[in-house]
Parts: sequence; structure tokens; C-alpha cells
Amino acid sequence: MNLFEYSAGELHKKLLAKECSAVEITESVLERIDACEEKVGAYLTVTGEQAKAAAAKVDAKIAAGEEIHPLAGIPMGIKDNICTKGVTTTCASKMLYNFVPPYNATVMDKLEGVDAVMIGKLNMDEFAMGSSCENSHFKLTHNPRALDRVPGGSSGGSAAAVAAGEAVVTLGSDTGGSIRQPAACCGIIGLKPTYGSVSRYGLVAFASSLDQIGPMGRTVEDVANLYSIICGRDPMDATSARREYPDFAAQISGDVQGMRIGLPKEYFGPGVEEGVRAAVMDSIHTLERKGAKVVELSLPSTDYALSAYYIISSAEASSNLARFDGVKYGYRAEGYTSLTDMYERTRSEGFGDEVKRRIMLGTFVLSSGYYDAYYNRAKLLQKTIAEEFTAAFEQCDIIATPTTPTTAFRLGENVGDPLKMYASDICTVTVNIAGLPAISLPCGMVDGLPAGLQLIGPRFSEGRLFNVSRVLEQERGGLCAVAAL
Amino acid sequence: MLEIDIKHVAKLARLRIEDEKVEMFQRQMGDIIAMVERLPEMESRVLPVDRANRMELRKDEIKPSLRRDVILANAPETAAGCVVVPKTTES
Repeated sequence: MNLFEYSAGELHKKLLAKECSAVEITESVLERIDACEEKVGAYLTVTGEQAKAAAAKVDAKIAAGEEIHPLAGIPMGIKDNICTKGVTTTCASKMLYNFVPPYNATVMDKLEGVDAVMIGKLNMDEFAMGSSCENSHFKLTHNPRALDRVPGGSSGGSAAAVAAGEAVVTLGSDTGGSIRQPAACCGIIGLKPTYGSVSRYGLVAFASSLDQIGPMGRTVEDVANLYSIICGRDPMDATSARREYPDFAAQISGDVQGMRIGLPKEYFGPGVEEGVRAAVMDSIHTLERKGAKVVELSLPSTDYALSAYYIISSAEASSNLARFDGVKYGYRAEGYTSLTDMYERTRSEGFGDEVKRRIMLGTFVLSSGYYDAYYNRAKLLQKTIAEEFTAAFEQCDIIATPTTPTTAFRLGENVGDPLKMYASDICTVTVNIAGLPAISLPCGMVDGLPAGLQLIGPRFSEGRLFNVSRVLEQERGGLCAVAAL
Repeated sequence: MLEIDIKHVAKLARLRIEDEKVEMFQRQMGDIIAMVERLPEMESRVLPVDRANRMELRKDEIKPSLRRDVILANAPETAAGCVVVPKTTES
């Protein structure tokens, strides 16, 4: 096995046992990027020299007998909407093609604090709007498990890099499924944390009341370790929760005896492919064999969730993206005749079509005469959806659903049909609307393509999600293997 | 079905839609609006305030910030330590 194929947990043991150096690990991942990036296209920027320097620092610490963190020297990729000081952060948009943040997102400061090694910035749908990575201004990303398929989105680069062995773990962001859906498409693990548990400072805003940064990896332990580092109160984010968090990886027991697993019938309807449904049910039966009980339940407002999601997220996006005007940073059009002309040219040339659609939808639902009919009703529905989850968690401890109704679609298959693209978020958007944590795990292959199981818990129940995930991971045989490329 | 005036909404959002794309956007936005229109009638009209989890704003304190030249390094056009934009007043 090559170094790039191991989990962070195994690599940490190797570092402690001096079986390899941090520089060797980083070089192995960089060589893997050289070897398969042309086929996969996960990265927008590779920061090889900086990564090797950061790894050398870890080796020096080990040589000096200093204790190192489990993520020290671990090569990781970062979604390109997370600000990295001195490293271009484009959001995969022409609008920010040249933007070099003068500061780090809080999550980046935290990762640097434990000597994690950033290896580069990852492709995504422009401003995190999309489900296939095809909305990137710069390039297409291919699914490493089937190169003619999309990797999912919007954190498609983050998922593809992990599946291809081009990073050991990555950070993505999730507004309506953008971590879980690509994790499912690429056959890896992805966590959308409880809203408020991870600081959004330095995450370029799409829909501020729904966005969360989260970890992606090939083992439950790696995802739990990365989550333990990035979570926590941050005075720079007024929505970050005031609470203490445990060391999640240390607390994984892998025991589900007596646990009640809720199956909401609305998530197993006719829109779900038969193969995906069967794969999800296989995992449920595994949990039953390990002592869990299945509870059937209903979340009746699920049917309206996609409407509420697109109204709320687009309304917030239209407001958040008003800042891109060509004045202080990023792209500025040429040949303008006035300030208004500069704004309009810059925004029309700088944004892609999907971003324009969302901005216009948001502008429309917030505009005079339509606010009550759309935005207000969506916000009321958001409350109803959250209440239905609260009631459901009185009957069960976690909820299990498919992550996506289908496996990864073909590149180009849904381009130009926004509604078909939006439908791939149908199982994931409710979680963001209710502010809950959810994890996506590989649950088998359907016609050679990975299917994903989604586990949803009450707010701040990430530890419980990791526990259940561990049981399924052990049953599946541990580490999600790197794709053969 | 509700018609959405693409040109008007685009203007509100400081966007321009090229003539050859107006029809495409008109159709796609129509489909999207038709989808999001599917909302149930709600009894309540008032959004409650979450009193238990009020957002706390930080104190408005002066703290060290980034240097001017560091911030201006990202600006498309600068002069004399300022961002340059087209003239907005009549002389």
C-alpha cells in the first residue's frame, strides 16, 4: 500500500513509530496528484512547496521528541470558498479569480494550530451553488469511481480528492447537501455539522443561516478527528454556539444496542432508485442485527422542503452576493461609463448562469408584493419542518435515509435543467433547514456506482452519529478504499 | 402560472441578461418559480422569536485591523491609498 492510501489515523501511528516521515506522506500525496489529477480535476490550486515546508516542521517536532496532534503532518485539501491567507480563494468563480485573502478562516487557523498540512484548494460549483461541480468557472471534476460521472456538488472537488487519494481528508461546506451528496456520489464519508458548531468566519457566504463547514474522509475516525478540531465557539461568528465539545474520536464506542433508528416514509418514496433503497435497507438490517430497533415514522412537510430551501437560500444569496461589485476586490469589468454601469457589467461578466438564477430568484421572492407569499411562508415552513424533526426524535434516536435518490449522474446529463439538478438535494435540504447534524456513509454499490446512507441526529448529536457510523464501517471492512485510477 | 419579468428582476439585482439568453432565463425562472410556489397554506403569519437562543452581538470595540496596503492589494484600481471608482457626482 502507498502512503496516500492510508487513513489519517494509520498515518499518525506510522509517524509515531517513525515508519515514515511527514514529508514522505506529503510527497506521496503530491505524486498521486501528479499521476491522476489530469483524469480527476479535483484541484484549483496545489500548494506543494508550502505543504512540504509545513510537513518538514512536523518532522522537526517529531525529531525533537515533541508530542504531535493526530492530524499533524496529514495532507488535506480545502474547498475553495474557505479563505486561506496568501493562497487564492476563488469560489470557482470568475468574480474572485484573483482574490488572495489577507486573512485565514477560523478553521484554517485551527488546522495550522495542530500542524495539519494544506495541500491545495479544491474545485466546487461556483459560490457553492450546484450539485455536480459543473458550475465551476474553471474546470470539470470527474468522479474517481466512474470518470464519466459527476462527483456531486457543490463540494465535488473535496469528495473527489478524498476518493482519488489526492488528499487524506478535506474540508467542504454544506448549505443544502453540498458535503453529503458528493460524499455519497464518490463513496466516502462526509459530515454536515450542527448549525453553529463550526465557525463560518472566513467561509465565503452563500446562505448564512444554512451554511456549515464540515469534514470529509475515508474513515469515521478521521472525520471525527477533523470535526473535533474545527468545532467550537468563535467570537468572530455571532451564530456560533456557546458550548464545550468532547474529543469525538476518543468517544466512539461502536455500540448501537437498544438504539432506535427512525425511518421516515417520505424519504423512501418512488423518486428513490430501487438499488439505492435496497443498499440503504441493507445497512438498516445490519444495525438491527447489532441490536438497534427500527421505528417507522413520518415527516409530513418533507414534500415542501425543496421549495422552502430554494426560497430561503436564494433570498440570502441575493443579499450576500450583493457585495461583489468590482470595487474593492475580485473581477472588475472594463469599458464602463458610470458606477452603475461598472456594477452591472462586472456582475454580468463575473457570475455564471446558475449564480444569476439564484440571485434573481432571491431578488424576486424578497421584492415588494411577493415577500409574504414566498419568503415569509418559507420561513414559517422552516419552523414546521424543525418541529417535525423534534417530535420525531421523541420516537427515535437517529433517523436514517438515502443521502441521494440516485447514484451519480453522467457529466452533462442535467446541465441546462435546473429543476432536475435541484431534485438531487431532496433528501438533504431538510437537515440544513432544521439546523441538524447529518453524516453520509457509503452503503454499497449500485451498478458499479456508490450509494450513500444518511444518518440524521438531534442538534449537537455528532458523537451519536459517529458511533452508528463506526458499526457500519466495521461491517463494511473499515477504510473506504482509494479509487483505482 | 406567475410570469416573472426577467429584465426587471435583473435590473433590481444589478445584472444584465444578454438578449439571446433572455428566453432561456425566462423559461428556467418560470419553472423554478412554479416549483417554489408549492407551499402549503400556513395558519400563522408571524415568525416567533427564539428567545432561548438570541444572537449576541459583540461589543463595538476598536481593535487592531489589517494594514491598509494589505487590504488594497486586492483592489482592482487604487490611487493615493484609496480605491478608485467612476465619478458619482456632477462637477
